[in-house]
Amino acid sequence: MKPSPDVGIVFPVLVAGRLLLALTNLSETLKHDHQLSSPLTSYFNLQEGIYLFKNGIEPYSGGVFRQSPLFLALFTTVLPTSRIVASITWTLCDAVGAWALIQIWRARQRVAQTSRDSLIAATYLLNPYLFLPTLALSTSSFENMLGLLALMFAARGDASPSLLAAAFLLQLSLSSIMLLAPLILLLASSPVSQLASPRAFSGNGKKIWPLVAEFLVYTAVLTLTSTLISGGWAWVPQTWGASLTLPDLTPNPGVWWYFFTEMFDHFRPFFLMVFSIHLLIYIAPVCLKFQYDPLFAAFILLGVLGTFKSYLTLADPGLFISTASVFPEIYPYLRYPIVTTLLHLHASLLMPLFHHLWLNQGTGNANFFYATTLVFACANGAALTDFIWAGLRIAIGEPQDGYVVVQE
Amino acid sequence: MNHILTRLRAFLSPPGDPVIGRVRRKQAIVSALTRRLHLINCTLFLVGYLWMAAIPSPRLEKGTYIDENALQPGQVNTYWDWGDVANADRYLEQLEGLRDHNSTSEQRGNILKTEFIKLGIPASTQNYVFTSSTGKVQGTNVYGVLSSPRTSGTEAMVISASWVSRTGQGDGTLNLRGVSTVLALANFLKRYSLWAKDIVFVISDNYVDGMQAWLNAYHGSTQSNLQADSLELISGVIWTALNIDYPGHSFSHLGIFHEGINGRLPNQDLLNSFHHISTWTGGIPVLVYDHLDSPSSIPSWIPDAYHEEIHAYSYRSKNVLRHAGYQARGRGSGVHGLFHQFRIDAFTMFGLPATGPHGFHALGRTIESTLRTTNNLLERLHASFFFYILTAPDRFLKIGSFLPSAVLISVAMMFGGLREWSDAAWILDATTPLEKKEATGQTSGPWIQRSRHVIPVLGIMLSTHLLGGILFSALTTSWFSNNQMVASAMLICVAFTTSLCALFAPSRDNKLVAPTHQLLKALNLCFASTVISITTVVNFSLAMSLAILLGIPLSISSPSQSLPLRLIRFTMYSGLSLGWLFAHDELKKAVWDWEILGVWFAPFVCVVYAPLVLQAGLVCLLPA
Repeated sequence: MKPSPDVGIVFPVLVAGRLLLALTNLSETLKHDHQLSSPLTSYFNLQEGIYLFKNGIEPYSGGVFRQSPLFLALFTTVLPTSRIVASITWTLCDAVGAWALIQIWRARQRVAQTSRDSLIAATYLLNPYLFLPTLALSTSSFENMLGLLALMFAARGDASPSLLAAAFLLQLSLSSIMLLAPLILLLASSPVSQLASPRAFSGNGKKIWPLVAEFLVYTAVLTLTSTLISGGWAWVPQTWGASLTLPDLTPNPGVWWYFFTEMFDHFRPFFLMVFSIHLLIYIAPVCLKFQYDPLFAAFILLGVLGTFKSYLTLADPGLFISTASVFPEIYPYLRYPIVTTLLHLHASLLMPLFHHLWLNQGTGNANFFYATTLVFACANGAALTDFIWAGLRIAIGEPQDGYVVVQE
Repeated sequence: MNHILTRLRAFLSPPGDPVIGRVRRKQAIVSALTRRLHLINCTLFLVGYLWMAAIPSPRLEKGTYIDENALQPGQVNTYWDWGDVANADRYLEQLEGLRDHNSTSEQRGNILKTEFIKLGIPASTQNYVFTSSTGKVQGTNVYGVLSSPRTSGTEAMVISASWVSRTGQGDGTLNLRGVSTVLALANFLKRYSLWAKDIVFVISDNYVDGMQAWLNAYHGSTQSNLQADSLELISGVIWTALNIDYPGHSFSHLGIFHEGINGRLPNQDLLNSFHHISTWTGGIPVLVYDHLDSPSSIPSWIPDAYHEEIHAYSYRSKNVLRHAGYQARGRGSGVHGLFHQFRIDAFTMFGLPATGPHGFHALGRTIESTLRTTNNLLERLHASFFFYILTAPDRFLKIGSFLPSAVLISVAMMFGGLREWSDAAWILDATTPLEKKEATGQTSGPWIQRSRHVIPVLGIMLSTHLLGGILFSALTTSWFSNNQMVASAMLICVAFTTSLCALFAPSRDNKLVAPTHQLLKALNLCFASTVISITTVVNFSLAMSLAILLGIPLSISSPSQSLPLRLIRFTMYSGLSLGWLFAHDELKKAVWDWEILGVWFAPFVCVVYAPLVLQAGLVCLLPA
């Protein structure tokens, strides 16, 4: 085995490459792409909100701006909003995310440095599902960074920073609440891989409730801060509420928008409830099944979010795919990695193409794009089920001739 | 009854553990499929290619019909009369004068503009210059806008003629009668108050570049190598455009040319309406393209009963081949092709030069009635009518009748790739003695699993595509267009020698690690299959050409032990991959199309097609 390139060289090189890419004019063409940013993460809407806010107009009254008031505070005080600065900030977010992912891997392995570090950095920084939304300046880059930071601090056992990061993440995206349960389990136990030797939850159960309480305190403080910043509670239905009530039906690669464009209004509340609850259903079984490895449970829930959440963008499945690099022990047990890869290849080529046929060329209609988002959902679903299978299968041991593992 | 039920129950759930039954059934199905995979693959290839061959068959086609009820083709009285024909003749005399005096574009533009203004139609000219690696192209467009008397001018229709006819892909034959038709129509259409859309008259300079400059300026899109005046007059959103091409002094048929750049087709309703109007209002027979349905010589030993079908097949195959020629190369079949990129349905009506019987009179009536039809449109033409192959003027193939042919080939390639992929993971262990195996107890079978290192293979694939990108940027330099012969030879040499590095690839232990050539072949087939199946929906002709060029060759690439054989195979693949570099005129045209019109064909061939074939060549070249 030849020595792997040192992460101390590879990481800066990758970040420098990304910065160069960010400084090109690509973001102008990608900014309005429906697959890279949703109404909840779009840079265009963010600028609109900041402009309204600076000019003393209630930003949440028009139904355009749907991002957290924390962004308003950040961009009106600390950061100026020029395009170049924005591009650099967004790329640095990705760099921090990649660094956090490396730290998660090291914490899981309990070593200071491994030969795999550079590979993990590359899977995060070179993943097109992640760097294209960053080039489009979608605020999903911040969400992904915060999610990885929360997991990283939890893996290292730093409870307060982890919960604070999770509370910030919750401010930006309501659906990230799904990650709370595995995060707290992770804080109460350890990040070391236990997939091959399942056992009952071994952590300190008594730690859980204080951690939940701490998280609630942070959330309450941040919520009040948001209210103070925006001068009222109008932000709640516009940001958190939007991901539950789906007021903006701009197309995205997820499965919600088309379903709700086709729906009669009197069924809407019921199906909104079904779609939202459907996401929550996964938390308990995944956390129970993988109680011995909460980091893996968090990974699986990232996959659920990347498949089924409202206002999905490519960044959500991208985070799931890149996080998979932390679990190499289960790769040999994947049943159909090539099929999943090919599904992703088809979906990622077909989506922009059918989007173009529908909205630019005019030879297709909404059904074309919807059909490809279904292919994309299949690809994500295939990845998710295969990773769940492999995570469970590894516990049974090496395959032996004459024996088959069957799921009852 | 009960007896049958118990039998059925016994068949569905055999005695013993149901789980074992299920596992056995699954294994039986999988092994039955994998054992016959070769057969399945061959069948898919065979059915796919036979289907392609059957595309011109009259048995697959349907009669055309009008989908959009609002169009109502041919339901109006036409008022174009001999007085208008006389007008057209007078305009023609003037244009012939311009031609005989060799007047410049600018003089011509000013005179045509004056003619529009004399009619009371606001008109203007637009100068433009394109710079490309082959030199400059410049000219002057003239256009006039007849405002709709009935609405606010948010929508518009275009009637256009280019100064140079499409004959011989713009070989210089002038389209004088087309231009005079536009002028006479301007005079005529102005007299009626029934237009619900603005009518824009465009006389574009040269063959296609004038219209490209005009459309870019109209839609405010920028092109780095184009310097054009902005338009002084504007109108609304253009929905439809009719392009008139009438190079002869009379015509016998009107030919429909409909392929746009990058394989985009206009809505079929527009063509069907035109066909209906031309046949029943104008009394002019319609053709697809400009060739007649000439009687073909069928060998006498074939029974008479088949003659009609064979004749129909040979006529349709001519049409399909011409269609594929235009569409696959992404080259529009006329000036109308440029409109499609801006979501405008357009086609060219081409007066097939003949000694008679038709002229301005029949043409004017047909255009008048077609305009009345497009004037009726209240919404965009429906999205389902963009995917078709016109096999005859009144016959077409629906998407479901042609698309599966290329998809079947792509599925066969995908299966081949997946088989190669799974084969790469296993090797028959012939060396380990039987006793040792029993002693270790690890594997009872003689198969051992080996690891597949994907990253170096992806690296090889990526570098071939990068090589293609470099090749393409070399093609668009002026150095290449100036010394084409030397340059192509040099490029081929560079590509060839770079690939020869594969000869020195380290040979690994095949028992532990899957050989690189096998993985390369697997991924190459999978990727090529994806490219083909995805291209089918954008440009079926291109997908079909790819299926023919890549299908079998990529599937049969294999390494060998002897060095000469490896080199011969690799040379053949490089010929398939880069041989087009010696088709100089075609290459020049493709690069020109890319630079001026933005046709994706040249970059696609360089960055996608050539590298895919080159990868198959590398499969042969890599150490076995």
